[in-house]
Amino acid sequence: MRKTLLALAAVAGLLFATAAPANAYEPVNIVHTERVQAGPYGLTVGFSTWPLKAMQSLDFTFIPDGGIEDKSGTLAMLGPGGAQRRAQPLVRHPRKREVWGLDVRSLPRPGDWTLRFTVNGPAGSGTGELRALPVLEQPGPPMGVSWAISTLPLIGLVVLVVVAWRRTRGRLRGGELPAIG
Amino acid sequence: MDLTASGVRSTSVTQQARTGLLPANVVLGGSLLSLVGLTWDIQWHDDVGPDTFFTLPHLFLYAGSAVVGLASLAVVLLTTAARRAGRPVDPRIGGRVVNVFGRTFAAPLGYLVSGVGAATFLLYGLWDQWWHGLYGFDAVIDSPPHIGLLLSITVSLIGTTAVFAAAREHRWGRLGTLASLTVLLTFGPVLALGLQQVPDDYADAVAIGTSMMAVLLVSVGAGFARRPGGAAGTAALVAVVQAVFWWFSPWAAKAYADLVGLPLRDAVSGVPAMPSLAPMALLPVAALMELVYLAGRRRGWRPGRVSVVAGGIAGLLLGLSLPVQRFLLYTGAHLPPVWYLTTTAVLSAALGLLGGFAGWRFGGMLCLLAPAKKGETADA
Repeated sequence: MRKTLLALAAVAGLLFATAAPANAYEPVNIVHTERVQAGPYGLTVGFSTWPLKAMQSLDFTFIPDGGIEDKSGTLAMLGPGGAQRRAQPLVRHPRKREVWGLDVRSLPRPGDWTLRFTVNGPAGSGTGELRALPVLEQPGPPMGVSWAISTLPLIGLVVLVVVAWRRTRGRLRGGELPAIG
Repeated sequence: MDLTASGVRSTSVTQQARTGLLPANVVLGGSLLSLVGLTWDIQWHDDVGPDTFFTLPHLFLYAGSAVVGLASLAVVLLTTAARRAGRPVDPRIGGRVVNVFGRTFAAPLGYLVSGVGAATFLLYGLWDQWWHGLYGFDAVIDSPPHIGLLLSITVSLIGTTAVFAAAREHRWGRLGTLASLTVLLTFGPVLALGLQQVPDDYADAVAIGTSMMAVLLVSVGAGFARRPGGAAGTAALVAVVQAVFWWFSPWAAKAYADLVGLPLRDAVSGVPAMPSLAPMALLPVAALMELVYLAGRRRGWRPGRVSVVAGGIAGLLLGLSLPVQRFLLYTGAHLPPVWYLTTTAVLSAALGLLGGFAGWRFGGMLCLLAPAKKGETADA
């Protein structure tokens, strides 16, 4: 058993020794932009992937003309069919701190999305929308197949419980087991 | 807890007790590594953000499963070797021995289940890698591979619980069983996030799933202990883990961000993500369940049936408490309307009845994993 523990320690050590790539985060690479006018403020919306596909994560950047220094605002994302997520404050992108943004965020459903911005700044408050943002169908296998694969352990568990339940039924029926200790 | 008050009954099995103690605790330690990795990982996504496969929290998650898998494999191989050499195999070590692939391997049931869970975890890990290659590193907990991973950990933990339950006659076996149930109960709410896929127009599916799992596992604790304190003891251990993670998760996310030179997000809620998913009302609700068990015992009612009632009451209270808990914790969160809270609580109560029933029975099944002793009517 001591040898096993040593082997385990060695495996754990190797795993942790490979932690260095955690430093290697990719830079934000914008490949497509759109313009939005939110009242008096012009806004450039950037995407790190184009075209957009459902469930595929990307970096969004939101860059007001003149920079974010003296401004604040909110963003609401409206899905196809009017489904709306709660408006969230516009915050700095974690890896591109000079602009607002969302990191590795995906849009869950295909269809036309709307991004609604409210920007507050020296020229007052303004609202604007980026309408009909096209999101294509998700890549990869259909979700039904993926969920079927994922629930295999659950099915195995149910089988185990059913077998154990049947086998212990007779022993548990009637007689009460004593308390532990 | 008076669960620990009684000593080890038999001295003749001291040697076996020691033999089983080490692998059982290595498996539990692996599960704890995974649990720490999970709470850290979720907090990392919330507070800091960018992901790669090779983050420290991920390494904790995978190392935890590797430890569980290797330890389980070692026990299965040792058991196989013992049987081939004609040595007796002690069922206190991991439970009854079952044949795998004919009679090629002899595997104690608990270690077989924990090992299979660890192996499937690694398979789902590969699938998760492929998934991230296709969809990118979006921090979505309820993706199919993630739920597959969490279900695999659950299988592992059920095996771990069985391993300790087989050593029921030793104090470490009893405590380890409750500790394994605690780890399961702490994992449960994250697994319940998979229910976000279920439409929640009329009731909160995640709250219902979370309360069901909590009721079930607390009832397992009661059904396994078969004396006052099993339910409350499990809930108390969960509260301790919740308190520790409440401090640990944000601290670890920040410490790791500092280490790799990444800033915290601008809009950090300040509420630890995973610890806030578990029901905070669990301990008082479990105490109430104890009172129901106690009342049933005084009147001479069958505890299995009393457990159904206790589970129903607990499900109702937990299902009601979870949306309220979310509202109280997060600024800007809305309290759902009364009709929505009512449907959530009623459905939680219905599943709580089932949880109380099945939980008590599962507790009994765990007891049967231990070798029979004189005077145990169920094993006669």
